[in-house]
Amino acid sequence: MGTLVSAVAFGVVLASVIAVAAMGFTIQFGLTNVFNLSFGAIMTVGAFAAYLAQVNGINAWYGLAVGGAAGAVLTLLIGRGLFRVYARRGAKLFEMVMVTLGLGLVINYAIQAISQNNVYQFAVLQSKPLRLGPAAITPTQAILVGIAVAVFAALEAMLRLTRTGKALRAMAAEPTLARSCGIRTGRVVIVTWLLSGFLCGMAGVVYIINTQSVGYATGENFLPLVVAAAILGGAGSPAGAVVAALAMGVVTEIVSAYGGPQYSTVAGFGILVLVLVARPGSVLGGQARETRLTL
Amino acid sequence: MLSSWTFFISTLVVYFGVDLLSGLSLNLQFGYAGVINFGYIIFQAAGAYAAAVVTLGPSGPASFQHYVFGAKLPFPLPLLLATAVGAALAGVVGLFGLRRIRRDYQAVVLLIVSLIALQLVQADVPLFNGSNGLVGIPRPLQSQLALTPQGYQWAYAAWVLALCALVYLLVRWLSKSTWGRSLRAVRDQEDAAASLGLNVTALRLQVFVIGGAIAGLSGGLLVEFIGAWSPDAWGYAETFVIFTAMFVGGVGNYRGVLLGVLLVPILFLQLPQFLPQIGYPGLTGSLEWIIVGLVWMAILLLRPQGILPERRALALPDLSREAA
Repeated sequence: MGTLVSAVAFGVVLASVIAVAAMGFTIQFGLTNVFNLSFGAIMTVGAFAAYLAQVNGINAWYGLAVGGAAGAVLTLLIGRGLFRVYARRGAKLFEMVMVTLGLGLVINYAIQAISQNNVYQFAVLQSKPLRLGPAAITPTQAILVGIAVAVFAALEAMLRLTRTGKALRAMAAEPTLARSCGIRTGRVVIVTWLLSGFLCGMAGVVYIINTQSVGYATGENFLPLVVAAAILGGAGSPAGAVVAALAMGVVTEIVSAYGGPQYSTVAGFGILVLVLVARPGSVLGGQARETRLTL
Repeated sequence: MLSSWTFFISTLVVYFGVDLLSGLSLNLQFGYAGVINFGYIIFQAAGAYAAAVVTLGPSGPASFQHYVFGAKLPFPLPLLLATAVGAALAGVVGLFGLRRIRRDYQAVVLLIVSLIALQLVQADVPLFNGSNGLVGIPRPLQSQLALTPQGYQWAYAAWVLALCALVYLLVRWLSKSTWGRSLRAVRDQEDAAASLGLNVTALRLQVFVIGGAIAGLSGGLLVEFIGAWSPDAWGYAETFVIFTAMFVGGVGNYRGVLLGVLLVPILFLQLPQFLPQIGYPGLTGSLEWIIVGLVWMAILLLRPQGILPERRALALPDLSREAA
C-alpha cells in the first residue's frame, strides 16, 4: 500500500512535468495542425537558456521565465519564418512533419555541438522532503505540481474568458469561418506560436528542475511522452492533455515501482499503443475531415 | 598504406550495399506505396539482432553478454532468419500501425514505435545485452574460405552487391507488376483505388512486410560484417539518413535511390572521417547530423522530387507544381 501511494505521488510529479509540455504542444497542434517534432529540441533550448541564466547568477525559478521567453521567441521565428514559407510552397500536413523533423535534427545537433556533448548539472536548492502519509516528495517537486496546476488554470481561464482565447478556440475549430467573422487570424496564429513556445521552453526548465541536469538530448528523449499525452488527450484540448499526462505519469511510476524502473517509459507508451489498437477512432478521428495547415 | 586503403574501400562498398538495400526497401514502401515508415531502422535492427544471436552460439550464465535464443547456425541460415524476423516484425507493427489514419499521425506513430523499441532493448538487458549490445559476432565462412583478410573483405563486398542486384531486380519486377500498379493507385488516389475493389489496407500491409524483409536482410548482412550491434547503431536518426538519400536522389525512381545512397550516407557521412579533426572530439559527428538536417530541409523546399524524379506524372509531394 505504501509503495502504491508513493508511486502515485511520484506519478503526479511526473505528470506535472509532462502536462506543461503537452499543454503547449496540444494548443499549437490544435490550432496550426503542424505536428511539430522539433518541439523537443525547443524544450532543450529553453532548458539551456535557464542553465545559462543560472550560471550568470539568476535563480533557477526565474529561469522558468527565461526558458519560456527563449522558447516563445524561437517558436515564433520558426513558425513565421520557416513553417509558413513551406506552407506557401504547398507543403501539406505530412510534408510539414518532415520539415519539423529535419529542423529538430538541426537544432538538437547544434546544441550538441555547442554544449560539447556534455551533461551539465542544474542544481536547485533542496530542503527536507515533505511527508504525505507513506509518500515523501521534495518541496521542489511539490512546487512543480503547483506550477502545472497554475499553468493549467491560467490557460483555461485565458481560453474561456479573454477575447484572444475565444478567438483562438474559434480558429482551432473552423479557421475559414473565424476569418470571415472578423477575427484577425494572423494575430491569433502569432499569439499561438508565442504561447505554445513559452509553455514549451518553460516545460524544458520544469523538466531539468526535476532531473537536475541538462544535456542536448533532454527534450528529445522526453518528446515521445509529450506527443503521446497530447494525442491521447485530443488535439487542442489542454484539459485532455492534463488527464492523459496524469494517466501516463501514474501508470509509468506504478510500473516502475512494481515491475522495475527499466520498463517505466515503455509502459507509458504502452498506453498509447493500447488506445490506438482498441479505439483508434476516438484518438485519431481526424481522417474523415480534410484538415489543413493554419499558418 | 595501400592495404589500409583497400580495406577502407571494401568496407565502404559493404556499407553502400546495406544502405542501398535500405533505400530500395523504403522506396518500395514510400515511393511506390506512399507508406511512411519512420520506424524503418527497427526492422533492420531486428534482422541484425536475429542474425547475431543465431551466430554467436548459446549464452550461458558465465558469458560476458546475455541474449536470448543463442545458437550456432551455419552460414546462410542466420541471413534467412534475419529476413524472416524483419518481415514478421513488420507484419505485427503494420497490423496496428497501418490503419487508415491521417498520414502525419501515422508517421508519428511509427516514429514512436521506433523509440519504444529502442528503449525496450536498452532496458531489457537479458534480451540483447541492453545498451552495451552484442559484440564478437563471427564472420560467416571465414575459416572455410581461407582467404587473406583483404580477399575476404572483397568477397564479402561482392556477396553484398550480388544480393543488392537480386533485391533490385525483385523490387523492380514487383513495382512494374499489376501489384505495383495497384500500389501506385493506392498512393495517388486512395479512395478511388478502394472503390475499384483494391484492398488498401492489405496492399499496404503486404508492401510493409516485403520492405521489412529487405530491412531484416540488410541488418543481417551488416551485423555479420561489422561483428557488433548495439542500440547506438539504430537511433531514429538513422532512418532519416536513408529518407534523406531517397529525397536527394528522387522518390519513386530506383536510379535516384542509387544516386542518393552514393551521395548522402557515403559521401556525407563516411568521407568526413578523412577531414582533419576540428574542435573537440565528436564535433564532426554533430556537424554531420546538422548537415543531414539542413539538406533534408533544403530538398523539401527546393526540389521535393529529387535530382532524378519519377518519370511518370505523379501526385507525390510535388510542392513546386502546387506553388505555381
